[in-house]
Amino acid sequence: MATTLKVSLKVSVWRGGKDGAFQVFEVPREASQTILDVVTHIQRALDPTLAYRFACRVGMCGSCAMMVNGVPRWTCRTHVDKVVAGDALEIGPLRNLPVIRDLVTDMREFFDKWARAKGEFRGGATREDDFARVRPDSPPRVQADAGIECIGCGVCYAACDVVTWNPDYLGPAALNRAWTLINDVRGKENLERLRAVAGDAGCHACHSHVSCTERCPKHLSPTAAIAGLKREVAKAVLHGDL
Amino acid sequence: MSFRGEARLWIAQRASAAVLALCVSVHLVTIVYAVRSGLSAAEILERTRGSAAWFGFYSLFVLAVTVHAPIGLRSVLGEWAGWRGRSRDFALLLFAALLAWLGMRAVLGVFA
Repeated sequence: MATTLKVSLKVSVWRGGKDGAFQVFEVPREASQTILDVVTHIQRALDPTLAYRFACRVGMCGSCAMMVNGVPRWTCRTHVDKVVAGDALEIGPLRNLPVIRDLVTDMREFFDKWARAKGEFRGGATREDDFARVRPDSPPRVQADAGIECIGCGVCYAACDVVTWNPDYLGPAALNRAWTLINDVRGKENLERLRAVAGDAGCHACHSHVSCTERCPKHLSPTAAIAGLKREVAKAVLHGDL
Repeated sequence: MSFRGEARLWIAQRASAAVLALCVSVHLVTIVYAVRSGLSAAEILERTRGSAAWFGFYSLFVLAVTVHAPIGLRSVLGEWAGWRGRSRDFALLLFAALLAWLGMRAVLGVFA
């Protein structure tokens, strides 16, 4: 297998801030090499000033997402074989987020939108109450399970054209989070949450392009979550609750 | 616009889309049927004029278009042209009125 590999990769890496440019590096080709391995090689062997983020390297922390040949991906679990075009790779900072430097984006707006979508759990029980019993096969639990494994990597946010066109749009991850909480029977403030996620900056802005679902590395479907939010908002409006 | 207003627009667009799915299908089948049997314009008008059922059907079609198209255009204007706020909604109300007028003018011409 190793004998069939090209000797090296031509890797264009974004350098600088918003007005930066791509810089080309030649990186040795290895078997089972990931995009994060490529970036790490550049930083350790070729240019120690390269800025990028990573932590766990095993697809849990959600910190290493970047644009790879124009597509947002988690780089630690993306093998070069799967995405390389000939011997060329283009690695850039995540789309739809301000660039701080090189491959590092400012994620504040992304996570502030989770807060704006009321993405924090607020329980209604006290320490005197018994444990909540939630059947694993109950419909709300099944709905929450479908979206709960989000690692907050920002890939869906970078893949979403609506975020590009409407910068106030909360985005797939924040809305997916709100949907899991709406289906958490222990929680409260669901009407406030529906108010927070309705409207032009919320679920109603989604056109169901399905880019988020296509790119989510955890194979979640924010599109389905957003459709669920639209249904719940519609029901609440028709019942006069909102 | 309030989130409640946005939600109502969304419901209106979904409901009008459901009506349009039916209307467009019937409309296309009717066109194919009329063209295939080689009817002239005069013969078509002879069959359509005075038909209350067809008048009602095409009036519903026009109403659905009048509701559906401006709401869709609203998103396009907001996202691609950056036009939001009351002026956009006012312009779209005028556009809806134009669609209703043009549509009903045609319906009255063919079915009344």
